[in-house]
Amino acid sequence: LILLSMLFPALLFPTPNNRWITNRLSTIQLWSLHSITKQLMTPLNKKGHKWALILTSLTTLLLTINLLGLLPYTFTPTTQLSMNMALAFPLWLATLLTGLRNQPSISLGHLLPEGTPTPLIPALIMIETTSLLIRPLALGVRLTANLTAGHLLIQLISTATTALLPIMPTVSILTTSILFLLTILEVAVAMIQAYVFVLLLSLYLQENI
Amino acid sequence: MPTALIGTVFESHLRLGFFKKLNGNFLIICSVLHTSRPLHTTQQCLAPLPPLPEKGGEVRYGLIPEEFFQFLYPKTGVTGPYMLGTGLVLYLLSKEIYVINHETVAAACILSVIIYGVKKYGSDVAAFADKLNEEKVAKALAVKNEAIKDLETAIEREKKEQWRVEGRNYLFDAKRNNIAMLLETNYRERLLTVYNEVKKRLDYQVAMQNLKRQKEQDHMIHWVEKNVVQSITPQQQKESIAKCILDLKALSKSAQAAV
Repeated sequence: LILLSMLFPALLFPTPNNRWITNRLSTIQLWSLHSITKQLMTPLNKKGHKWALILTSLTTLLLTINLLGLLPYTFTPTTQLSMNMALAFPLWLATLLTGLRNQPSISLGHLLPEGTPTPLIPALIMIETTSLLIRPLALGVRLTANLTAGHLLIQLISTATTALLPIMPTVSILTTSILFLLTILEVAVAMIQAYVFVLLLSLYLQENI
Repeated sequence: MPTALIGTVFESHLRLGFFKKLNGNFLIICSVLHTSRPLHTTQQCLAPLPPLPEKGGEVRYGLIPEEFFQFLYPKTGVTGPYMLGTGLVLYLLSKEIYVINHETVAAACILSVIIYGVKKYGSDVAAFADKLNEEKVAKALAVKNEAIKDLETAIEREKKEQWRVEGRNYLFDAKRNNIAMLLETNYRERLLTVYNEVKKRLDYQVAMQNLKRQKEQDHMIHWVEKNVVQSITPQQQKESIAKCILDLKALSKSAQAAV
């Protein structure tokens, strides 16, 4: 069932069916795909473009999963920590290992910011290492926490609204607050930006690819 | 992309199913799926596709196609589908097949947000998509028009060249005339120089002859004078001088008489 809910978003996108001028939906999807890819790939140099497919598809996947999770009676796979860690950890590890393999001294050199006074160096290296190792945890947990919190809030407030239905005015105020919460929650879009952006940040911080 | 996802899921499912049997089987199935992938992904026919319909299917309330209403119209009239809808909803609610819980409120909220968004930005998005398509078509048309224009200018240039070729005869005649004139002028000039040279030579000869005659004449005069002067003896000189004096006296007398 989880498999089904993870795969369903893929069905919403029609395949490019070899027409030159497609219908509106395909045109818009193509355009958005192009703009996402361009946005992601401009900071990277030539070798980084190998990551284009995986990053764009990751963006689209997370976007659709999160947006569909806003509908009632749906299950959002990204609320599960297991899935988000499964996405975050290997990708972060991949960036780290490519950096270490291709240019080990430079990527290790990122551990120390420039121009630090000499006595501070050991402490800073410890701090930078911990921040480096915390990145996958942060990526995964950030996504999970944001989405779970959003869904939880929606459910709680709607439960409160339903329970307070016999008592009228409070209900309407709570409903309007739900609406506002929802419109802000459609910053699930921004969630995806945040996710892939952070991934990309760590990626080109390695300056390896 | 989505068929890629579906394909991989299909393959993974097959992998799970056949894993217990034989690994060779799984390889065969994967390879068959991979080779026949174009069969499932493309349109399986290389002929030109029929054009897309201009407008989407008519829907009422954004969800239910118009054909549904038309389908029910002969039996139930205009209000038929609405009665059906209302009855269905009331049935679901009363029999508690659909329970009103907190998610109903959430559904109402999100549906209102979606409908608001679609109503407000729908036409803009559609216009944007249409604009993208239009730009694509316009680019291709621009290429075609430019090619046509280039070819037309090429044709005009060619025609001009042909006209020029027709007038080439005149050009050659004019050039021929020019050259003939040049040759003529050159010839005349040379003729003139020849004439001048010859005249100079002849003048020289004439001058020589004149000079010679002059010299002879002078010499003769000089010789004659010299001989005459030599022939005048001193006595003759005295006689002539005395005669002259007598003549003069006579003349002076006649002159004095005349005064």
